[in-house]
Order: sequence, then structure tokens, then C-alpha cells
Amino acid sequence: MLRRPSARRKAGSEQIALNLVPMMDTFVTLIAFLLYTMAFIVMTHVETPLPTASPTEVAQKLKEKPLQLTVSFRTDETEIWSPFQKITSKKIPNTPEGTPDVMAIHQRLVEVKQQFPNEKQVVLAPSGSISYDSLVAAMDGIRMLDATDPAIIVKNAETGVDEALKLLFPEVVFGNILSND
Amino acid sequence: MPAFRSIRTRRRKKKLNQGFELQLTSLIDVLVIILVFLLKSYQTSLNTLSTVEGLQMPISASQDEPRDSLQVIITPEGVTFEGKRVVDFLQDSGSAGATEGNYKLNESDMDEGGRRIVSLFNTLVSAREKSELLKAKSPVRDANGNPLPFDGILAVTADKRIHYDTLRKIMYTAGAAGFKTFRFIALKKET
Repeated sequence: MLRRPSARRKAGSEQIALNLVPMMDTFVTLIAFLLYTMAFIVMTHVETPLPTASPTEVAQKLKEKPLQLTVSFRTDETEIWSPFQKITSKKIPNTPEGTPDVMAIHQRLVEVKQQFPNEKQVVLAPSGSISYDSLVAAMDGIRMLDATDPAIIVKNAETGVDEALKLLFPEVVFGNILSND
Repeated sequence: MPAFRSIRTRRRKKKLNQGFELQLTSLIDVLVIILVFLLKSYQTSLNTLSTVEGLQMPISASQDEPRDSLQVIITPEGVTFEGKRVVDFLQDSGSAGATEGNYKLNESDMDEGGRRIVSLFNTLVSAREKSELLKAKSPVRDANGNPLPFDGILAVTADKRIHYDTLRKIMYTAGAAGFKTFRFIALKKET
């Protein structure tokens, strides 16, 4: 469109002012929403079933003699053993702080897992004086596989494909809930 | 005061009356940075599990996110079930400011040879019955048309200083009341 000479002179110097107010409104609303719905404390859980025992199950176990890997936490040491002597029992002394040596327990359990790759369950038998904090740390060492651990390969029963395990012994059961010692 | 203002003063006044434009660019820069940071570190929670002030939770590397379930909270003062205090631990002179948790139960609160906590058992049984009643009235049914069974999951949020002896009594009591699975709630270890 042809402009007037006066308009032509001013045309190049016009500045467009971008209206940023709606964008700012959006940002402020988004930030408020994110802050309101954000979880600042991230929680996790370790699941454990209540142990059950029926006479038929006990009779079956006595007949089959499974591994029944057991970790007993005592006041000065931790013992990793099998009631049916499927593995060599190992006693691991506690750290100087008096807590279970989670690293050593984990290493021993990795060795056991290499022997019995299809085993998933560990029975815990802690003494009454062990703290909950130590117990959760020990359960982590029992359940989780570290990135530095050797790969444990197991054939998937459904697909028939070899797979590297992601968890060491995922099922942790407290074996002495019913006892009072 | 002079009767006539100078030309410069008049020009300055005219300039002020024209209005000014706020420089929003730097403000938007800040907002964008905050937004990117929040989106990067954004995490929501799928549960309504609660904690109480002063509770020191253990830290776990487990990756399982807890879902909603009935919850028992064990603090140095007592045991709380669904926000209601059901058991008080014995407090003595050593309890005040103690670094170790002092979790002594009153003998009169126990039965079955000191293994079961009576008040907690009664509360858990009534909670189970209420849950079963709700499931019986719910239109959600299993394949055979029966009401869904009681899931029996109990979330345990406990102070990290608690000894297993106390925890065992609570687990025993919950087991006797029909709870078959325990979820120990912990803070997630940052990886």
C-alpha cells in the first residue's frame, strides 16, 4: 500500500512492543501449581509378609530340605546360614559402631545367589536389640543388587531368555515374629 | 515559587506524563529458569501417608513407591493408628532428650505373654471389620461375584531408633488382627 511521505519516513523506526503480561500470568500460575503439587519428601517402602506355617508346609519342607536362607542378626555378629546345611554357615562380626556389616553381608549373599540363582527368599531372625535403622539398611543390602556386583543371569521361565537379575533376594520374611526370645 | 516554569521543566513533565514501560525481560528470564528447575525436579506422590514432627525415618534404596493403606506410626512417645493415639510408651527420667528411642510398653497393656498389645489389637480389629464391611457393600466384586477380600496391608512408619523388640510386638499384634503384609516406610535414598 502506498503511504504518505510523512508516514514513509516514520515507518522504519516503529517498535513493536510484545505483550508479555499473559505469558507472565501463565508462568506464575504454572510455578504456583508445581510448587503446590510437588512432593518434597520422597518415600519408599520395603514390603514383608507375615510368616505363615502350617503342619503340612513344615512336613513338606522337612521332606524337600530347601535352602531356606536365614540371616540371624545378633548383638555382636550376623550369621548367614541354612537350617538344612545347604550352604556353609558364615558369621560376620558387627562394625565397630555395633551395627551389622551390611557390605560383608551383601557380598556373602551375592556368593549364595550365584550358587542358587532361582532362590528369592531370605528369612530374617534379628535380635530384639537391633535398631530399626540398622534393620532397614540390612534389608536393603539383602534385597538390592549394586551396579558393582557381578551379573547374575537367570533363564526366564516364561520367555526362555537369559536375563540379568535386578534384585538379589527380593522377598524378606521375619522368621521370629511369633517367638518371644 | 516562580510563576513560569522553564521549557526544560515543562518538557520533563511532559515526558513523565507519557507513561513508562516496565522491563519484563529479566523477570521472564527468572521465571523461565524457575519453571525449568521445577519441571526437572518435579515429583508427585501417589499416597497420603503422613509423618509427624520429630520422627526420624530410616533411609532406603528401595524403588517401590508406597500406595495408600492403613498406617501405623511409631514415635518415641507412642503408637498412632490413622491419626489416633492408641498406645503410649512409658516415659521416665531417661526419656527426656534421649538420643536412643525409649520404647517401653506398659505391662498392663500387653497379653499373650507380653507379645500382643491389647489396645492396638482392638483398634486394628475394628479397622479390619470396617474395611470388610465397606468391601461387602461395595459394588466392586471378584469374578465369582463375591466381595473383594480384605487386603491386610499395614504401612509401618517408625522412628529409626526403635528396637526390633518393639517392632516385633506391633507386627505380632497386627498379624493377630488379620494384617498379613507390612510395608516399612522409609525416606528414599537419593541416587
